[in-house]
Amino acid sequence: MKHPILWIHGEALGPSNPALLAYPGRPAVFVFDTALLEGATPAAAISLKRIGFLYECLLELPVTLRQGDVAEQVLAFARAHGADGIVTSAATDPRFSAICLQLEPHLPLQVLEPEPFVALEGPVDLGRFSRYWRRAEGAAWRVWPGG
Amino acid sequence: MATPPRSGVPLAWPEQPGDLARQFASRDALEHELKQLFPQAEGGLSPIEGGRRRAEQLLGRIQPQRYGKGRNFLDGPVTRLSPYIRHGVLTLAEVRDAVFRRTRQRQESEKLINELGWRDYWQRLWGQLGDGIWQDQEPLKTGVAASSYAADLPDDIATGSTGLACMDGFIAELHSSGWLHNHARMWLASYLVHWRRVRWQVGACWFLQHLLDGDPASNNLSWQWVASSFSHKPYIFNRSNLERYSGGRYCTACPLRDRGCPFEASYEELDSRLFQR
Repeated sequence: MKHPILWIHGEALGPSNPALLAYPGRPAVFVFDTALLEGATPAAAISLKRIGFLYECLLELPVTLRQGDVAEQVLAFARAHGADGIVTSAATDPRFSAICLQLEPHLPLQVLEPEPFVALEGPVDLGRFSRYWRRAEGAAWRVWPGG
Repeated sequence: MATPPRSGVPLAWPEQPGDLARQFASRDALEHELKQLFPQAEGGLSPIEGGRRRAEQLLGRIQPQRYGKGRNFLDGPVTRLSPYIRHGVLTLAEVRDAVFRRTRQRQESEKLINELGWRDYWQRLWGQLGDGIWQDQEPLKTGVAASSYAADLPDDIATGSTGLACMDGFIAELHSSGWLHNHARMWLASYLVHWRRVRWQVGACWFLQHLLDGDPASNNLSWQWVASSFSHKPYIFNRSNLERYSGGRYCTACPLRDRGCPFEASYEELDSRLFQR
């Protein structure tokens, strides 16, 4: 990809967003997801406080703001900028994967991983926090310079 | 009093019709615009401001050692970073590194690093469970039939008029600021699920509507922990616990101070009153 646009979403509203780091200066877009804000099942409609908080975070990033259907808006933004692909950062919300599936038939999509809190190889037992933490704690502290 | 301008950082590409505004004369003007753009969204702005600048100020004030000792007190030295972490304004890795820079002895910061671990844990679990976070992970351990839990938020909860100074105080803060201390969240969730017998999903939806850090995974799975569908036993508290960690600020002014407080009992008494085990 030589001329991608960046799709910024609500799990990465800071300068460490790996898409912003990998392609500084490229046109970037955030879409207020109308269906989600109005209460896509199962969550309820969100209050203005939350929208305002997101908006203030977004004002400190170089990003165009839109509202509507996320995939439609991102693709329209890509067309307007003659983009040859879309770059974004990984997200946990299953809604993110669903939107990626809508984008992929139209343009190449690159999903970049943010720096992890701890890198753990292989399957991790998440049955209870204590089991996870037995593995993760040591790994988290390994990067402490005093260790 | 007028608030200072809210100006977005400049963009290196031209605007298109339909782009939302990035320049506002004041925070009030931003609020006004958002009410027009999102007419279905209730309420106004929170006093808590979004943005990296504010996040960095808070990050500069963290006190890992004091956090470890006092974090359970409502006026304790908690970081208030959760809304910024939830939305990736700060990554967990950035917060971890900031904690490490302030750590001379590992033990001082273990609790704060552990709490960051909880956030990572909930996210990993969300990746595994997907929308399954909305379903009971395990049966409830309350002995109460699932059908006995109400499917709607009671009116006095929705309006913060339960008559309990503590709960009404928490509800007012949730609705006005969109942030609650973790201990207050636990008390309020426990009250709703166990004293009022409301389905945890109802409370989870309500919190997600208001909390600036509202994250479906952290939120729902914590509600399940309180309810006992993701823990070995239901979480309850009593008056002496709440009074201690709130510094008595609610109880002194509560109309039920001397009689009728539903939390005034031993854990054994509450257990037999609330559960059918």
